[in-house]
Amino acid sequence: MRSEIVIIGGGIIGVTLAHELAKRGEQVTVLEKKYIGSGSTFRCGTGIRQQFTDEANIKVMKRSVELWKKYSEEFGFPFKQTGYLFLLYDDEEVREFKRNIKLQNKFGVPTRLITPEEAKEIVPILDISEVVAASWNPTDGKADPFFATTAFAREAEKLGAKIFEYTEAKDIIVENGEIRGVKTNKGIIKTEIVINAANAWAKLINAMAKIPIKIPIEPYKHQGVITQPLKGGEINPMIISLKYNDAYLTQTEHGGIIGGVGVEYGPTYDLTPTYEFLREVSKAFTKIIPVLGELLILRTWAGFYAKTPDSNPAIGRIEEINEFYIAAGFSGHGFMMAPAVAEMLADLITRGKTELPIEWYDPYRFERGELRETALQMG
Amino acid sequence: MLVKLMRLTEHPILNFQEKRGRKITIYFEGQPIEAYEGETIVMALHAAGIRVLGYSVHKHRPRGLFCAIGKCASCLMTVNGIPNVRTCITLVEDGMKIERQKDKPKLPPTVKPPKFKEAKKVSGDIVIIGGGPAGLMAAINAADAGAKVILLDENPMLGGQLVKQTHKFFGKREQFAGVRGVKIAEILEEEVRKRENIEIFLETSAIMLLQDGDEKLVVGVRKNKELIEFRGKAVIVATGAMEKMIPFEGNDLPGVYGAGAIQTLMNTYGVKPGDRVLIVGAGNVGLILAYQLIQAGVDVKAIVEAMPKIGGYFVHAAKIRRLGVPILTRHTILRAEGKEKVERAVVAQIDEKWRSIPGTEKVFDVDVIALAVGLRPSIELLHQVGCQIKYVPELGGHVVIRDSRMETTIKGIFVAGDSAGIEEATTAMLEGKIAGIAAALEIGTASSEWFKEIEKAQKELDEFRAGPFGRKVLEGIKKVVVE
Repeated sequence: MRSEIVIIGGGIIGVTLAHELAKRGEQVTVLEKKYIGSGSTFRCGTGIRQQFTDEANIKVMKRSVELWKKYSEEFGFPFKQTGYLFLLYDDEEVREFKRNIKLQNKFGVPTRLITPEEAKEIVPILDISEVVAASWNPTDGKADPFFATTAFAREAEKLGAKIFEYTEAKDIIVENGEIRGVKTNKGIIKTEIVINAANAWAKLINAMAKIPIKIPIEPYKHQGVITQPLKGGEINPMIISLKYNDAYLTQTEHGGIIGGVGVEYGPTYDLTPTYEFLREVSKAFTKIIPVLGELLILRTWAGFYAKTPDSNPAIGRIEEINEFYIAAGFSGHGFMMAPAVAEMLADLITRGKTELPIEWYDPYRFERGELRETALQMG
Repeated sequence: MLVKLMRLTEHPILNFQEKRGRKITIYFEGQPIEAYEGETIVMALHAAGIRVLGYSVHKHRPRGLFCAIGKCASCLMTVNGIPNVRTCITLVEDGMKIERQKDKPKLPPTVKPPKFKEAKKVSGDIVIIGGGPAGLMAAINAADAGAKVILLDENPMLGGQLVKQTHKFFGKREQFAGVRGVKIAEILEEEVRKRENIEIFLETSAIMLLQDGDEKLVVGVRKNKELIEFRGKAVIVATGAMEKMIPFEGNDLPGVYGAGAIQTLMNTYGVKPGDRVLIVGAGNVGLILAYQLIQAGVDVKAIVEAMPKIGGYFVHAAKIRRLGVPILTRHTILRAEGKEKVERAVVAQIDEKWRSIPGTEKVFDVDVIALAVGLRPSIELLHQVGCQIKYVPELGGHVVIRDSRMETTIKGIFVAGDSAGIEEATTAMLEGKIAGIAAALEIGTASSEWFKEIEKAQKELDEFRAGPFGRKVLEGIKKVVVE
């Protein structure tokens, strides 16, 4: 079998990219070793935010939100702009966020500083006794990873893309620096272009292609929690508290309170849930919203943050292997960034350039020792 | 008036007048209801004739009791403003306010910020989860073999399902032959309570089972509030089973109850489940249930059984027939009818291909449909901790791989009773004994003399399973036991 482009990894990055490339008339195949979304996407916290602290991520996320809105309307999956609410607890934090807000406003993201009372109007069950201000952007939001991933995959297939589940890339055939094909557990696919969208497993794919540069991406175990469902409208926005263990929480479409805290393990490929997480998440959530203490937790689970040293992904072309691209190492931001990443990488592949600031994610930066400002990360 | 009607005052075997606690008042949607201390919320409601406990979230269909032992979500109600309380295992308290949920629940308006304290820590040699026949026997034997034992159960009483078995047991003398299940529960509880090296935690749910360094950690929650960390060198999971449901129209109507739930109502709490009952399933559970219902003064209209032959013991079936209850083999239930609760059951004969035969429909005017269609093992904790699982229909569904001493694929984690595969209380007790001793041997508190006790119990198990009814179980066990 032959395919012009092979994407390795059927998470949100793989399927949005397949959709974007297929839309541009490219013949594209996605290889997923289990089922689509099974790696990290279906384990994600659902949040989509533009409140970053650097120009590139703000710009990319602004475009991403536009695309989330467009595609959710076209494909009919739940995406809601219910906002991100960062709770701030002291003057220093307020100062820092004022700087962030200024930068976000400069690129058209309408974040503003609000009072604790205004925050309580947005989420009435919030405990604001320790809160001094909040950073509020009503255009941030959340989407359902199950519906979104399957919708992008379905639409990509309608446009001719092939998505092979339970098909694992075993090796990449490279001759004299030129890609010839991908060996899978189900046979060889001949191709000239490979995209590494394997995120937490990206280093394995890089090794298969024997890329000559160092791209440090390591899997770290993070966990999520969901409570029993409640009537909608209890917690509309994503609430963030950096003070309480980098916590994030919101209510899903189904009604459960979903979220996590910054309890991290790794690098590891182990996904066993831990008691430490359960205890810490309960502590943080009830500090932020005391009444959540009356709720029962239904499930906890683990997934990977595929982390780079600066928590920014590696997106771009690896010049030494013709043609090998990478879009991995999202450090917990893959889901929210996916539509814009798909657009900028498809631009690069089909037009050789993009208007989005792809250079920020230059995969050579690690090799050159030019790390970026660390992307604001929670959970 | 209704209140008195649903409470059993006379019973040939049980005396509820003596057992009932202090009379208190609880409020169901503002209306005062008489209750007795020591009973669960749902029992008090049922005694007052309240069968509709809530409504389904999307289609707003009425929901009633189903398992009555905390294993399903059918009895969730809002209690004192707190949503989704399992009212079947939560005890009544004077002045309690109970509301039905008609939609996804809302949170109570305000709560004071919680004060954090470290979780209570309890350490022992062996942690046993589940205080039914298997867990009790495991506790007694592990304690006698020198181990410090922690025993927890999420129900308010020990005994598991024995507490509702009014029939006399079969088997050998040392297996309590001729003794009623309720009495066996009392004997075992007494044995457990008189051993100083057994610590008991009731109303305590085990929510997580983990390896924690060299130890096992069981995360427990007592009375929905208090977090307790139980640590031990070994864990025995004896979490029992839950009732199976079968598909038919109207199977979610209040009044369609698991057989065990009906026994809990009438035999544990002395509450009449209804006036006229149809039983689905003529295995031992269905047959014994019919007899118990008649003892409690309830009219049993019929037992339907899809198989061509009765599954249970002949003696039980003969007794039921003598009492005038028809057992309709090759029949199944087509639908339950009624507005807010069961008012009628429609059954029909089925052909060789399990299709109902038109024209054979029979209508029974009943207010309760009892499902005695089998159980499935409760393996949630074993699954969560990572024990190897296998689907074995002969044992009721998914079960864990184990060795002949009840140890799972994780060293130091043992299983016993129905959670190891569906059988009965006698085999559960024997498995509990084996698991208790094996765990004590493994952690080094028992002398090698105890191996003989394991062999003895294994021999008794073999003998008990040697009869025609053990054939299926033995087939199943072959698939899960490894050395």
